[in-house]
Amino acid sequence: MRLWPRSLLGQMLLAVAAVLLLAQAISATLLWRAAEARREAAVMNAAAFSLVVRGRDGREERALRTPPRRPDDSFVRALRIERSPAFAPLPGDVADAERAEALRAMVESHGVAVSDLAVFVRPLASDPYLATRPRLRARLLRGGGDRPRLLVAALKAQGAQEWAVARVLIPVRQRGVLGSILFQTLVIYLLLVGLHFLLLRRITRPLAALTARTESFARDRNADGQLEARGPHDVRRLIAAHNAMEARIAALLDEKDVMLGAIGHDLKTPLAALRVRIESVEDEAERAKMAAGIEDITRSLDDILSLARVGRASEAPERVDLAALTASVVEEFEDMGDPVTLGPTVRAARPVHITWLRRGLRNLIANAVRYGGAADVSLTREGGHLVLRVEDRGPGIAPGRIADMMEPFTRGEASRNRETGGAGLGLTLARAIAEQHGGELALANRDGGGLRAEIRLPAG
Amino acid sequence: MNDTATIRLLLVDDEASLREPLADYLVRQGFVVEQAADAAAARSLLLGEAPDLVLLDIMMPGEDGLSLCRHLVESREIPVIFLTARGEATDRIVGLEIGADDYVVKPFEPRELVARIRSVLRRASRPAPAAEDDAHYLFEDWRLDPLKRKLTDPDGALVPISTAEFRLLRAFLDHPRAVLDRDRLLDMVQGREAHLFDRAVDNQVSRLRRKIEEDSRNPHFIQTVRGGGYRFAADVRRVAQDQG
Repeated sequence: MRLWPRSLLGQMLLAVAAVLLLAQAISATLLWRAAEARREAAVMNAAAFSLVVRGRDGREERALRTPPRRPDDSFVRALRIERSPAFAPLPGDVADAERAEALRAMVESHGVAVSDLAVFVRPLASDPYLATRPRLRARLLRGGGDRPRLLVAALKAQGAQEWAVARVLIPVRQRGVLGSILFQTLVIYLLLVGLHFLLLRRITRPLAALTARTESFARDRNADGQLEARGPHDVRRLIAAHNAMEARIAALLDEKDVMLGAIGHDLKTPLAALRVRIESVEDEAERAKMAAGIEDITRSLDDILSLARVGRASEAPERVDLAALTASVVEEFEDMGDPVTLGPTVRAARPVHITWLRRGLRNLIANAVRYGGAADVSLTREGGHLVLRVEDRGPGIAPGRIADMMEPFTRGEASRNRETGGAGLGLTLARAIAEQHGGELALANRDGGGLRAEIRLPAG
Repeated sequence: MNDTATIRLLLVDDEASLREPLADYLVRQGFVVEQAADAAAARSLLLGEAPDLVLLDIMMPGEDGLSLCRHLVESREIPVIFLTARGEATDRIVGLEIGADDYVVKPFEPRELVARIRSVLRRASRPAPAAEDDAHYLFEDWRLDPLKRKLTDPDGALVPISTAEFRLLRAFLDHPRAVLDRDRLLDMVQGREAHLFDRAVDNQVSRLRRKIEEDSRNPHFIQTVRGGGYRFAADVRRVAQDQG
């Protein structure tokens, strides 16, 4: 499981939760320690009060007989002073030297000369004195939680014959503290999360829209449908800057298209003129050579212009039956008398730029015919892909050069001259066209020799 | 057509370097050729004796070829062939939609241009097609748009067909359930494409089957009639463009 969230929103919320939890833990600890200190002070004060005020002599014993008005209040939970000639701890008692020290200081500060002072913590249930007061004991046991304890302080003042033994109920820790802190934390967290969520969404939503927009622009480079700047100021500025950049890129691409159109027009018209003029050349062989030369230039020009324009298709893609498209391209070659055969095809339709895809397939077949003498063409469905496959039995490509072959102006053999035609853009263009359709061009040598070229398109 | 001497062409192109040699060439081929360097000059020439056909450059300074073509087709009913340096599909479709009869992409083979001129004139000399010409053909959820020459299958996917296949299919769709022998089909399919003549009708039929039949060995639509020819074995409806 991935614990660290990836989104900005998730990370912010997690960070807020962590910091909030830490802050709450610190404040809870402080609160708890303050409560503990208060509790301790109350117990000690009560013990000191008993020993100092009531412990000196017996005159206040009567007043103590009235039951405490608020039995849960630790301050009045000092029980009656017991006087005994001797004092010894019981087996369950735990000596508390620290409190004894503190208590001695408190008592002495009130002018009591201490001869001996001992402090023990004793389970309430085992106290023999309380055993003689069953009603009080029952009440204390009921109100004091599961395991109430007594602080037993025994004082022997200087000159006194007896020990004065004071008993103070140690209040049990409040158990709701932790729960209320957790509850508090949760409420604050939910409020903070809610606010953060609302605030962050103002940032993340425009960001998500911007991401989608950038992706779609990268795909079709169409500046229409730009995002409206929304969200906080920073995000607005980002969107505005992105829109400006998009507009600039689109303008550059438009300029390029216009320029290429102009180049195409300016070159094709003189070529056309030349093509007409050579009709008056008497020598037929010479004329044929000239015509071939012009055709060659024309083809290179077309390839270059196409490569520069691919991906900037002016029309929306159309759903096309690829089997029929494949057959129609193969038939063009059949009509030229080229040995191109159509293998199995599957009926599959998908949105494509028909002129472009035809051209990509035509380039692959032309390559196969040129280098392999013949081509087998098929259309199959493989997993989620439609595969337009062109195979030949030519020399194939040296394994290390397969990637190079798809780069512009590369030809199968360096020694081949322009006789083979084209500017060496056939595969580059086929790859660009495959990518324009969200697919890829794959080249591989076949077992037994020859090349397999595939345009693999995700099935629409 | 032996009487090319009487065929009058108007060649409109702003590039003199192409226009002049092309005019010379066409004259050598036996046509009578008038030249205009822009649309305005063409319009003034058109005030005189109307040419049989206009060769029209699309990209010209001033009024462009598309606009002049619209005028020629709508008010003068003169056939038009576009000469275009642009080869993109949209340009072709726009050209054909506003009523041009054909187009050639520069640089073209002069012989091919001559063949297309003759082919367009041959078609123009035939009786005008019926008024419902651009109504779509529907057969078993397949649809053929005769104007854009688009065939779509029952799922709405475009099925690319060649011009020859389009003409053949249209011939079938115009005569559903009738037996059409090869000569009759050839006669109906003859269009502007000269190379069509060389190609056997049977070959075209098998190509068309490859595109519209589920199993071309066991055809559902285009059935072979023993000793006779072919028959289109489905009902055909015509609907206006935006219907159905």
